[in-house]
Amino acid sequence: MFPAVIDEYIRPKDIAQARGALAGYAPGDAIFIAGGQSLMQAIKSRMVRPRCVIDLQDVAELKGIERGNGLTIGAMTRYVEIAEDRDLSGGYAALRDAAQHVGDRQVRNRGTIGGSICWNYVASCMPCVVLGLGASMNLIAADGKRRQIRAEEFLLGPLETARAPEELLVSISVPKLGANSGSAYKKWGLVTDALPVVGVCVLVILDSAGKCRSARVSLAGLSAGAHRAKAAERVLQGGNGSESEIKDAFAQAAAAADTQSDKWADDSYRRQLIRTLGFEVATSAFARARGTVQGVAK
Amino acid sequence: MKTITVTINDKVYEESVEPRMLLVDLIRERLGLTGTHVSCTYEGVCGACTIHLDGDAVKSCMMLAVQADGHKITTVEGLARDGVLTALQRSFKQEHGLQCGFCTAGILMNMTDFLSKNPNPTDAEIRHGLVGNLCRCTGYVHIVNAVRAAAKLALAERGGE
Amino acid sequence: MSDEQGTSGRPNFAGDTKAWMGARMPRKEDLRLITGNGKFVADFVLPGMLHAVFVRSEMAHAKIVSIDTSAAEALPGVVCVVTGKDIQGQIKSMRQPVLMPNVPANYPDYWPLSIDKVKFHGEPVAMVVASDKYIAVDAAELVVVEYDPLPVVTDPEVALQPGATQIHDQFDTNEIFKMTFTGGPELEAQERNAREVDRIFESAEVVVKERFRVHRTGVTPMEPRAALCEWSDADGLKAWVTTQRPHTERAALAQVLDIPASDVQVIAPRDVGGGFGVKAPFYREVPMVAYMARKLRRPVRWVESRYESLMNVGQERDQINDLEIAATKSGKLLAFRSRITADNGSGEVGVYWGFTMAFLGAVEMPNAYTWEKADIRLRSAVTNKASLTPSRAFGNFPTRFALERGLDLVAKKCGIEPSQLRRQNLITQMPCASVTGKGYDSGDFEKVWATLMSKVDLPAFRKEQAELRAQGRYIGIGLTCAVELSGLASCVLVPMENLPGYGAAAIRLDALGKAQVFCGDAPSGQGHETAVAQLVAAELGIDPSDTTFTSGDSKTTPFGAGSIAARFGGYSASAVQKACQELKNKIVAVLAHDLKLDATVGDFDFVNGEIVFRKDPSVRTAFAGMVDRIIMKPIDLPPGMSAGLDATVFFESDQPLVCFNADCCIVEVDVETGKFEIKRWVTCEDVGNIINPLIVDGQMHGAIVQGLSNTMFEEFVYNEEGQQLTADFENYKLATAADVPDIELNYTCTPSPYTPLGTRGCAEGRPSSIPGALTNAVCDALSPFGVEINELPLRPNKIWKKIQAAREAMGRAAE
Repeated sequence: MFPAVIDEYIRPKDIAQARGALAGYAPGDAIFIAGGQSLMQAIKSRMVRPRCVIDLQDVAELKGIERGNGLTIGAMTRYVEIAEDRDLSGGYAALRDAAQHVGDRQVRNRGTIGGSICWNYVASCMPCVVLGLGASMNLIAADGKRRQIRAEEFLLGPLETARAPEELLVSISVPKLGANSGSAYKKWGLVTDALPVVGVCVLVILDSAGKCRSARVSLAGLSAGAHRAKAAERVLQGGNGSESEIKDAFAQAAAAADTQSDKWADDSYRRQLIRTLGFEVATSAFARARGTVQGVAK
Repeated sequence: MKTITVTINDKVYEESVEPRMLLVDLIRERLGLTGTHVSCTYEGVCGACTIHLDGDAVKSCMMLAVQADGHKITTVEGLARDGVLTALQRSFKQEHGLQCGFCTAGILMNMTDFLSKNPNPTDAEIRHGLVGNLCRCTGYVHIVNAVRAAAKLALAERGGE
Repeated sequence: MSDEQGTSGRPNFAGDTKAWMGARMPRKEDLRLITGNGKFVADFVLPGMLHAVFVRSEMAHAKIVSIDTSAAEALPGVVCVVTGKDIQGQIKSMRQPVLMPNVPANYPDYWPLSIDKVKFHGEPVAMVVASDKYIAVDAAELVVVEYDPLPVVTDPEVALQPGATQIHDQFDTNEIFKMTFTGGPELEAQERNAREVDRIFESAEVVVKERFRVHRTGVTPMEPRAALCEWSDADGLKAWVTTQRPHTERAALAQVLDIPASDVQVIAPRDVGGGFGVKAPFYREVPMVAYMARKLRRPVRWVESRYESLMNVGQERDQINDLEIAATKSGKLLAFRSRITADNGSGEVGVYWGFTMAFLGAVEMPNAYTWEKADIRLRSAVTNKASLTPSRAFGNFPTRFALERGLDLVAKKCGIEPSQLRRQNLITQMPCASVTGKGYDSGDFEKVWATLMSKVDLPAFRKEQAELRAQGRYIGIGLTCAVELSGLASCVLVPMENLPGYGAAAIRLDALGKAQVFCGDAPSGQGHETAVAQLVAAELGIDPSDTTFTSGDSKTTPFGAGSIAARFGGYSASAVQKACQELKNKIVAVLAHDLKLDATVGDFDFVNGEIVFRKDPSVRTAFAGMVDRIIMKPIDLPPGMSAGLDATVFFESDQPLVCFNADCCIVEVDVETGKFEIKRWVTCEDVGNIINPLIVDGQMHGAIVQGLSNTMFEEFVYNEEGQQLTADFENYKLATAADVPDIELNYTCTPSPYTPLGTRGCAEGRPSSIPGALTNAVCDALSPFGVEINELPLRPNKIWKKIQAAREAMGRAAE
């Protein structure tokens, strides 16, 4: 119901102060809070009992989306900013698809992409999407050392990431996805915009002949947490993105997936969701790559 | 304990709070603004606690009071100005958009923000905007009617700008 | 705070205040609620107030070996910690007379805190009171309970088997309640009836036999339960409680705390955030809060968390119904046999004991159809789960699902439209009594059905359905109807709950001509304050703003059985009307005497604040003036008459009242995913004359969406160890606005001849026909696959599995 006692609340003005705020606390006793839409659930249920909360809301270096060679998305970028950024189209569109349907609009006003990725809840959208887009996480340690780590190596499993407790996620780097790329994301849950029972993200990059040069497929909602469906990628790569290829890709992804049974769906239904969502999402990704559709997958 | 300064409904409050105090408890228990309600435990799903933080609808149970230091908050008590109800409040009354009223404050706050950003919404957009507010009594039909009516009213009052 | 200039929502009915009756008047309740000025129990603050939190069992079934409260008590800010053993000798058990129905059952004796063992996950074992609610939660965590686990029983059929682990040590069976509802109260007559039913089945042309299962779900309100208690030696106990039944709550507190009822005042504030039956029982926590207030001589407030609420209350439905229906091949219904097994949970809930809902559901099962006979039996089994508590559609949700699905199966076997089957078997003779003896006062069921069907165009639908099937798209239509209770006559409520069914209202006119109305029930959003003001306006010719309404206060209101069972429209409203009549009779008697006129109340109109003589409208006087004359200037009154204008009426109708509704649902099912979309929901309602159609519309919408949410999304899940897994809104999912359709309501009107205004209470049972209509629609859509769904909840994953199984079977058949 209510948090356990918190000894200290610190609101750093910049990254250096944020790093410094960790001093004096054992690893894990001082935690960073971003939007709090996941973390506050854990703090209120006492699953997490921080002695010190370091609030990142004022740290300017963590905000905003920079466009250069690809995107650099500040960790504190709120879902609503991503959801409303019309320039996140084509290969970046999956980011918008996901952000527009996380939780509800109050959550989107507050929750952040960085918070979602660092929490890496088993049924969550953003970890799946950053994995699908081949993004990398930019971290800074308490001693100032920076490192960049690919999503594959960052996302270890439900509620587990490679971020050490004293590391701060600064930003997410998404590689340049040009005019011939398209991505999409869609999930299914029992009620509108619920946490994904299954979610699928697809990124395709086409060559000048319109063939699929590379494909990335990632799945959300399975008990292993966000991971790639390489079986599907292999089918799509080098193909034309035809209906039958897409169907085959996700038939294979479903067959290869380790799906769990719970009160929302049994393992066979999760496989069916991989097949049907995958088909929709991949079709949308190809259409966006070809420039034939700009809308959001509903 | 931390001393924080929060502006709520245009009034500046300076309060000494424990870091763990939830923002909704600052609002309700410390400051006696009980129009904002709590309906779920830790999950932050019901939306009854929705307020405006610097003009945006957020759930006050999902924030610590200390996080609001230096910010502007509006609660349901602050919607009407000088005793004049907003178009949305009037529409809720006219369209019977509430029954027990427990979820209402959260909906008014959320929809006020929603309409300011979506002044001419479709019914489907209204329903999607309401995903973060659970209501048990109304079945949502009259709520959607009220939001639709308020949008029309606001557009008309602005001379259809 | 002002409303719009000149428009308080008042329609322009100048010259005819009778038009308040039936006006779509915006509510008086709204202004405070839309400005954040409502006052719910959790909003009340008293000086020196302390905060209570309960420590609850993590185990589903276990002996309590020890409870160590020392660490909790040592925490700064903690004032008191008690366990069951501490209070057992200080207060009485919860099995008190006012809480016991008048039917034989194995009622367990229990205390508000567990004594020797716990019987469900969430049962309160200790209570902490602290100066701050956060500290109270800290302290609750420090209470250490040692348990000795016992075998857990979660299956009601297993619980009823000989040799099953007994949950209540006082009894040697887990069967808390059992009853046969047909053939009368005597065993011999029941058996004879059962043999007659057997004979009907033996010779019937069409027999359908199916097992139906409805899951554990209910209508949890948005405001969790709360209580604030204050004790003073001078005035006794004052308790603000989120209760639907303040008078019962008061009597129960008096009995459990063993203090005179005159020392107890219970107030359900005028703002309660939804009840739906969940706030009708007498719960453990409230006497404990009262106990602590008395012990500590300080006010104590308890506000439950959503987690506690979902763990402990709001769980209903949860039945297995083995149903058989016999009919002729032309679709005339003959008889049905129903064996209901209900999952009672622990049963330790005052007034209801987990089974009275199932009791009423069995009584009402025959629904709106004529049957020659039926054989209905119920067994309710105690399990290691929270006790069932009432939820809107009290008892009817699972039985209506079974029957309405069963009727569609019968229609299929007969080869006739389900709508035709229903129509040709609707009750037409009124008043009548069903095969369980339940009375229906009046109603034109055929007209409701015809009106609904006129909005639907079934032949066009069937044509479209066939065309779409050819394209591989599957739409379906589902139709149900339900006769629902409209208040409960004493002849049912006394046996069922040991409570009277009448509606009661006290009206007091003050010297300025304003009316104060007092009712002993406790609304939680139904708009009684507004409806009563409209009624009084229509009767007395005064403005609705000139009536104040007090409800929920046991000290100032006449006894009310509570805001339950749709009592208001038929019973309470009638009491208000009749009290107004008494006042009018007296006013006219004095006026006629003053004017030396030979006239009675029928010769005058009370309109627009005046009393006007019909035969000569120039003879008129101000209402307020007459009131002043009778209260403040009581000189030269008619012989034998005293001053004052107060009337209290207890109203009970001569026949048990009912209302009636019919639903039509059209869906499209995606056979690749099992997902379905409701394309249209259209209804027809007959609730008699309506006081405020705006309010009634809202009641219907709310009920239908509750039914949809229960059917599709909400499920309380216990695992085999009895751990409850759905105690938050992430796991117990309620419908959001984006999950449910718009709803088309239609009305016909059969005024009840048994109420003065022809009104009927309505919308309590309304959710009950929803699961049948929706499931029938999905099955109709999937009839090419032969899919029949007889279990809830209705979910895409389950629908998909059935389609897959059907496709595989069809594939094998084709080989």
